[in-house]
Amino acid sequence: MKLTLDWLQSYVDLRGLTPEKLADHLTMLGLEVDSVSPLFPELAGLRTGLVIAADKHPSADKLTVCKVQIGEQVHQIVCGAPNVRQGLAVVVALPGTLLPGDLKIGKSKIRGVESGGMICSERELGLSNSHDGIMELPESTEHGRSFLEAMGLNDTMIEVDLTPNRPDCASVIGIAREVAGIVRQPLSLPVAGATIDTVSNDFAVEIKRPDLCPRYAARLVRNVTIAPSPWWLRKRLLSIGLRPINNVVDITNFVMMEYGQPLHAFDFDTLAQKKIVVRCPAENEMTFTTLDGSERQLEAETMMICDGDKPVAVAGVMGGLNSEVTDKTTTVLLESACFNPVSVRRTARRLGLSSEASYRFERGVDPEGTIDALNRAVQLMCELAGGEAPDDGVDCFPGRKEPATLTLDVARCSLLIGVTLSAAEIASLLNSIGLSASVTSSNSIEVVPPAFRVDIEREADLVEEVARLYGYDNIPVSLPKVELSYPEQDSQRQRRLALARRFAGSGFTEAINYSFIAEKHADMLTLGADDPRRNVVRLLNPISEDQGVMRTTLLPGLLENLRRNLNFQQTSAKLFEIGKVFMPREGAAQPQENMRLAGVVCGNRHGAAAALHYKEERVDIFDVKGCVQFILSALDISGADSDATFTPPAAGCNEPFTEEGYSLDISVASCKIGTLGKLRDEVLRNFAIKQQVYYFDLDFAALCEAPRDVRKFSALPVYPAVERDIALVVPEEVAAGELLAAVRRHPDKLIERCELFDVFRGEKIPAGSKSVALSITYRSSSKTLTEKNVEKSHEKILRLLTEQFGGTIRHE
Amino acid sequence: MENELQSLEAEARKGLQELTDAAHLEPFRVRFLGRKGAFSTIMKQLGSVPAEERPRVGQLANSIKADIERLFEEKKAMLSAGQGLRGVTTPDLSLPGRWPVTGRLHPISQVMEETCQIFEGMGFSVAEGPDVELDYYNFEALNIPAHHPARDMHDTFYVSDSLLLRTHTSPMQARIMESRQPPLRVIAPGKVYRCDSDITHTPMFHQVEGFLVDKKVSFADLKGVLTVFTRKMFGKELALRFRPSFFPFTEPSAEVDIACVICGGEGCRVCKKTGWLEILGSGMIDPEVFRMVGYDPQQYSGFAFGLGVERIAMLKYGIDDIRLFYENDQRFLSQF
Repeated sequence: MKLTLDWLQSYVDLRGLTPEKLADHLTMLGLEVDSVSPLFPELAGLRTGLVIAADKHPSADKLTVCKVQIGEQVHQIVCGAPNVRQGLAVVVALPGTLLPGDLKIGKSKIRGVESGGMICSERELGLSNSHDGIMELPESTEHGRSFLEAMGLNDTMIEVDLTPNRPDCASVIGIAREVAGIVRQPLSLPVAGATIDTVSNDFAVEIKRPDLCPRYAARLVRNVTIAPSPWWLRKRLLSIGLRPINNVVDITNFVMMEYGQPLHAFDFDTLAQKKIVVRCPAENEMTFTTLDGSERQLEAETMMICDGDKPVAVAGVMGGLNSEVTDKTTTVLLESACFNPVSVRRTARRLGLSSEASYRFERGVDPEGTIDALNRAVQLMCELAGGEAPDDGVDCFPGRKEPATLTLDVARCSLLIGVTLSAAEIASLLNSIGLSASVTSSNSIEVVPPAFRVDIEREADLVEEVARLYGYDNIPVSLPKVELSYPEQDSQRQRRLALARRFAGSGFTEAINYSFIAEKHADMLTLGADDPRRNVVRLLNPISEDQGVMRTTLLPGLLENLRRNLNFQQTSAKLFEIGKVFMPREGAAQPQENMRLAGVVCGNRHGAAAALHYKEERVDIFDVKGCVQFILSALDISGADSDATFTPPAAGCNEPFTEEGYSLDISVASCKIGTLGKLRDEVLRNFAIKQQVYYFDLDFAALCEAPRDVRKFSALPVYPAVERDIALVVPEEVAAGELLAAVRRHPDKLIERCELFDVFRGEKIPAGSKSVALSITYRSSSKTLTEKNVEKSHEKILRLLTEQFGGTIRHE
Repeated sequence: MENELQSLEAEARKGLQELTDAAHLEPFRVRFLGRKGAFSTIMKQLGSVPAEERPRVGQLANSIKADIERLFEEKKAMLSAGQGLRGVTTPDLSLPGRWPVTGRLHPISQVMEETCQIFEGMGFSVAEGPDVELDYYNFEALNIPAHHPARDMHDTFYVSDSLLLRTHTSPMQARIMESRQPPLRVIAPGKVYRCDSDITHTPMFHQVEGFLVDKKVSFADLKGVLTVFTRKMFGKELALRFRPSFFPFTEPSAEVDIACVICGGEGCRVCKKTGWLEILGSGMIDPEVFRMVGYDPQQYSGFAFGLGVERIAMLKYGIDDIRLFYENDQRFLSQF
């Protein structure tokens, strides 16, 4: 809601109040002031001038060479407007002036004639679209003054961000009423408490749907002359960004801004049977042309204003072309009505037509303010458009409501606000803004809210008014007195946080990506046609195709992040994300939301750490495998080290975006919970990444549900350990990890540990074979082992390995 | 033997005096002080000294050896100190240290966690809910029926007529109240969505919802709890301003401003010269919301608030473009 200080001042005396202080008051009343700024700052450099001579340009028919008096000085300006003439008061931009649109005026020669400035049109000033000619100022305008001052435009603009509950403040008078309450000044209104007849001799009104139209009033104005409005009226509209059109239309707009009551003017002579009928369209009336020239499709429930035959306006939203006021109009039927907010909102939404009128109807206009606004507009039409108005009119008010009486419990009000107030104090606060409140007992107040406060219906609404008027700043600060209780926490969330912290501690940076991705990301990952991740939750109204579907995998986001980082000359990246993916669910209202954990790595293993200390080493698949092992161990997942955790997928069953032979399935408690691997070149090309990238992707919820080990102390060994190494030459096909697992699985209690420390191929090793070196630690918990004890166990292990894997022991 | 001891002492002292090169330290030690050195050799003669003389000569021998050892250590320390300065064998400690390679948590995660921890400290429990939400919980249960103008305050992403991406974390109020009985103290952090995208808006952002329901909860309590929060979050006594506003699910409603963390309230570009920065919306839970979940509004009262995590992070760190949070540029992420 925009208004100017000067306009506001015409209803309430604001002397002694700076614009800043006023803004502060409004904000603290809940009418948040967005900005306080000078009006038309871009026109500050313009001057008024008087054309003292206007002669034809010697070499151009359409140009006039003018002598313009500006104060003491006379300037020669060449002007192309047809309406320039001697004696006209004009707006001049002298050389050096900057016009709206950053147009800088300079001295120039036009067809050989010096021109020192420009005489401006309204369009050049940004005041209207009219480019018929230069702006004509009133004859009495003194030359040589600042244009803004001379025209009363040096005003202050205040922009208020209205909350939807305060439609009463969608008007200058509404805001003036609130201000009057604070400064305790009377409010002076041009028309107040007006009434009219309910029946007219000239026309009739019928409301067929009183549920959609609680009140409809109208009056006639005859013999109007359609013409531009006088400057004061145009100025008001211009100052809040509305475009003046003609006196009749301008008056309806002005009164709407003044009173908050939308009005509509019909050309009475176009109305069949001199009748207004409020009804829904008939079956053959489903298309309608609004006054912007568009043909609109109606619905059976669209509330229409009709004449005796046909629809003439979409009620509360926009008038029709067929009954529009034109230059030829002489008799105006002026409508001031109250429509059902939900109905107007539905229609405005459906037609995609949001107007100043629909904005107010949707939020609720004052049903008791209908006639004041109507009479004010009629009065102005008589004054400014030469109209004559019969005293009578029509006021159909089927939805009249007796004013409701609300009861406010004083103790409860005090308790809710947190400050003890007496009944008298509360009543005085409420009365200051016209909510007639009377104390009925020490603990009870009766309040009759005025009709314009459509938002006050319940006791809670009154408590809010009391708090607001008492001043939020004056309410004390206290802490709730509650019983002590332990806040139970979500264990999955806590695991997530703990894991994220450990991840960050181990060199990964956390990413957070949008939950929506592009549908084409599935193609970029080369997912198969029947991949379940192609089954997405789709947005009906995405901002763009790139954010059109809810993600079913975290990888596209992370890969886009990698690209960005690499593009900005970062050669290494380790990113992880813990976030939801969304899977549609048959037969459920909401999709399945699964928490996943994924990471991507590329470049140097040591990232940006000092190259002095860390040799450049490229990441490989073991970085991501290690990462997953780290996660499993951080979460105390049982059997994390078992051979069943990482298994190569069956041939052709690897993730489509991974390179064959470079991927692993991850299982916990024989349930597959994720994958890791190396991304295929094609996929990397799709994401425009020019480096090898390794990833892991886990179902985090499944991880959290996996069986976990209880951390338990085991006594520190007392007796020394004996370490033995084995180098075993085995065929290439034997997986080294299986040798390790076989030893670890071995039941011999003396085996404490087994680690794999080398895999070697080359000289001295037959082709097609490799040497795998294991280190086994033997220890007894009850004695110091002898050479003989160890030898016995070690022999068994050697036998097992050679027999089971067909290996031979390699001797140095 | 006494004479021999004394001449050995003189010889050793002279040797030490002439010793100026660290390289000669070890030969000196071997010659005089080593296991087979001069002192050890001479001590072996102690057996041939008359028994009554033995304690005195032994003591003398020990004290001379101890003196020489002390002098030797002093010499050694002197020579190696000189070497340190010349940087011949000790490391150049001006070199950078060997950093452990570490990453960072996203600033949003950090601020969200910090927020949760402050409220957990006040006994709030933490709960999370679905991102793809029913229209009912996002709007209707919060006293925003279909066709209510307050829906204009939310640019909503829809999945279907009845399904949407939650526009705030407030649906968690209704979800939790529906399944639990007061007293309640809960915060609900999470992602929220609005179809809006520019320098100050991203289509996804984060909120932390909080609410407390009990008997006799007042607006003054709301002020108290949020005052504690802002003081802890911004680490100083920032002025706080509660400003009347409107949310359909709270009444009275308040927007909360903090004194501009950039200019301290003087007025600057960030606070649009007002000296204040809006950080959250809050209010007393509307009786209508209580009624819908079956609580008696005469018996219970409560407050609720919703914090914008990005907003707080931007103010805390002076970040001027919200979109940076979702580009995941390591140069940005590594700053927090």
